[in-house]
Amino acid sequence: MSKFNKDTIIAIHNQETAEQPDYISVGMSACGIAAGAQEVYDVFAKQIKSRNFTIKLRKCGCAGMCYAEPLVEVKANGMPVVTYGRVTEEIAQLILEKHVANSILVNDCVVNIR
Amino acid sequence: MVKRIVLIKDTAATGPDTTRDFYNRFLDGIREHKLLDEIMVVRAADLGYYGHGLVVKIMPNNIVYHNVQNTDIERIIKSTIEKNQILDDLILNEKPKQIKVALRNCGLIDPENINDYIAHDGYKALSNVLLEFTPEKVIDELKKSGLRGRGGAGYPTWMKWKACRASRSNPKYIICNADEGDPGAYMDRSILEGDPYSIIEGMMIAAYAVGASKGYFYIRAEYPLAVQRIDEALTKCREVGLLGENILDSKFSFDIDIRLGAGAFVCGEETALMASIEGKRGTPHPRPPYPTGSGLWGQPTVINNVETLANVPYILCYGGDNFAKIGTNSSKGTKVFAVTGKIKNSGLVEVPMGIPLKEIIYDICGGTISGKDVKAVQTGGPSGGVIPNKNLDVLVDYDNLQKMGSIMGSGGMIVMDTDDCMVDIAKFYLGFCVEESCGKCAPCRIGGFQILQILNRITEGKGKIEDLATLKRIAVSMQKASLCGLGQNAPNPVVSTLNYFEEEYKEHIINKRCRAGKCVALLTYTIIQEKCKKCALCFTNCPVKAISGNRETGYKIDQSLCTKCGKCKEVCKFKAVSKE
Ligand SMILES: Cc1cc2nc3c(=O)[nH]c(=O)nc-3n(C[C@H](O)[C@H](O)[C@H](O)COP(=O)(O)O)c2cc1C
Ligand code: SF4
Ligand code: SF4
Ligand code: FES
Repeated sequence: MSKFNKDTIIAIHNQETAEQPDYISVGMSACGIAAGAQEVYDVFAKQIKSRNFTIKLRKCGCAGMCYAEPLVEVKANGMPVVTYGRVTEEIAQLILEKHVANSILVNDCVVNIR
Repeated sequence: MVKRIVLIKDTAATGPDTTRDFYNRFLDGIREHKLLDEIMVVRAADLGYYGHGLVVKIMPNNIVYHNVQNTDIERIIKSTIEKNQILDDLILNEKPKQIKVALRNCGLIDPENINDYIAHDGYKALSNVLLEFTPEKVIDELKKSGLRGRGGAGYPTWMKWKACRASRSNPKYIICNADEGDPGAYMDRSILEGDPYSIIEGMMIAAYAVGASKGYFYIRAEYPLAVQRIDEALTKCREVGLLGENILDSKFSFDIDIRLGAGAFVCGEETALMASIEGKRGTPHPRPPYPTGSGLWGQPTVINNVETLANVPYILCYGGDNFAKIGTNSSKGTKVFAVTGKIKNSGLVEVPMGIPLKEIIYDICGGTISGKDVKAVQTGGPSGGVIPNKNLDVLVDYDNLQKMGSIMGSGGMIVMDTDDCMVDIAKFYLGFCVEESCGKCAPCRIGGFQILQILNRITEGKGKIEDLATLKRIAVSMQKASLCGLGQNAPNPVVSTLNYFEEEYKEHIINKRCRAGKCVALLTYTIIQEKCKKCALCFTNCPVKAISGNRETGYKIDQSLCTKCGKCKEVCKFKAVSKE
């Protein structure tokens, strides 16, 4: 890759902020992983592939809500950004089926919405 | 098409959870008004409010109602949902209590993707600095910001940088202290794992300001994921020329290496840390000389904490003045705390300096898990002290905590309820410091051990009243004569618990009683004959056969055999075993 200069930084910034794709973001710090975030991530990865979802799957660090790990943030279908807490593999399935596929939030799991 | 989302959560601290019941009623209301297609009702697990009764949050308008009753449902639907009118008597107008500066990207960006960091204004500060700022101007901006070190001592960052810049000798070094050894503290780990590029950018700005050419991350080896994320980020930076020669086509050249700490608490102390990087034993040596004059390999060195460095790009990107708008006169910006112990929502919080401690405990973290009273909050880890319940109004900043006999420290915050024993807490921290003392100087090595022995005696019911004076005397000599911060601060938890909870020490000594029921040696288990149904459950379960008797005469505990394991109390179905 070529060397960055100030213009490259500005260009990357503009390009990255211009596109606002839908995403599922899994908190993957040591704490999240200890709470089962890797398994949850794997469920998303597998299902997104097998069911041809277009949503982007990302990793992120932890926002500090340790008590609610594993945390999953979803931005989809023009709805507010929703954070789900204590996500298990089953809840991950529900998030895909309800929230991502049908724009219905999953009950009893939302820990933040913005 | 759904136009609005209504979230529902019962946030009352007591009573049964009514979320589901209210949800059903609300759904009925929505159904009656034929709004099922437009309004989505959701039961939330948490809305970030505690002790506000039933909370209803309406999105995307972001309207929050609290203490909502069943009888309010109709008005909410008619006014707010159908006509967009706000109900003034229900509205909760609370400014967000948390401000994310050091954690601004944590949980938001992908730490393994440099483009995501750049999308969130990453490297904007660096490009401005390298192309438009003189080093003096950078230091000036830091001065305006008022940023003080987040690693414990709270030394103004700009003064450290200025002193290092003024040192003539070359090369100079920047060290990021990521040793994080305080039990209960993990905010640095979270930044290392969640936003590695911001720390790297902070180090680069520091290096430019002081004229350093080489940097080191000193990370504890117990943080493998942090090490991996930093390592990957450094590799990426080298690949795109953000580390190396002539960064961003400027004259500035800089590179960073990682060194692993073996996990000794004292290696977080700056002089011990540098000795460790040099490959020597990680023991402290006296200051002066200060690292800014003679640090790593005798060269001028700036050593800063992870959180300190993560604040730096923010300051240079959005301006020192803007940063200084947050906080109090003596303490600017925010502080990240790791709140643990008997707290409902343990986790990381980032709050503006000057926030009442009470708001952190109750409004952000939801109070104690047990619902019992907070007895005290320990801040500053093994170098800090306790803030008793009566002082929870304190506005948290460097100076106020110090006035209360504690310190800000690195940001551990341990919440204790009435089940915690203050002598036991002091013993825990003292034990930690005795374990971690490097043994180089006598006050720490011998004094710490002496204090620990006295505390052990007191918790075993063998204390003497004169012990309290002895504790204070040893504490003062350790504070005055120890070589490094470990020994100087090790007695703090003892001094502070003695200050606020002397009567508890006395109870242990005189009445042989631990009111929290923590000090096992002071406990007595007895069978309350009036309640005992002679079922023999305790008799069969006692692992040391300390219970004698039969189904006719009833049962008795032989105190000389009892190991206070608590099994009998646990198994008794009639609450006939008392613990005192
Ligand atoms: C026993 C002891 C342990 C310490 N551990 C740490 C640590 O884990 N992390 C840290 O940043 N500072 C630690 N410090 C403070 C450092 O010596 C130093 O003051 C700090 O890294 C300076 O950075 P700052 O000015 O950004 O706070 C420790 C100090 C002592 C006395
Ligand atoms: S105070 Fe304790 S840790 Fe520090 S140098 Fe002395 S013996 Fe070592
Ligand atoms: S506390 Fe344990 S050892 Fe003591 S009497 Fe009960 S069961 Fe036996
Ligand atoms: S540190 Fe990761 S959520 Fe607590």
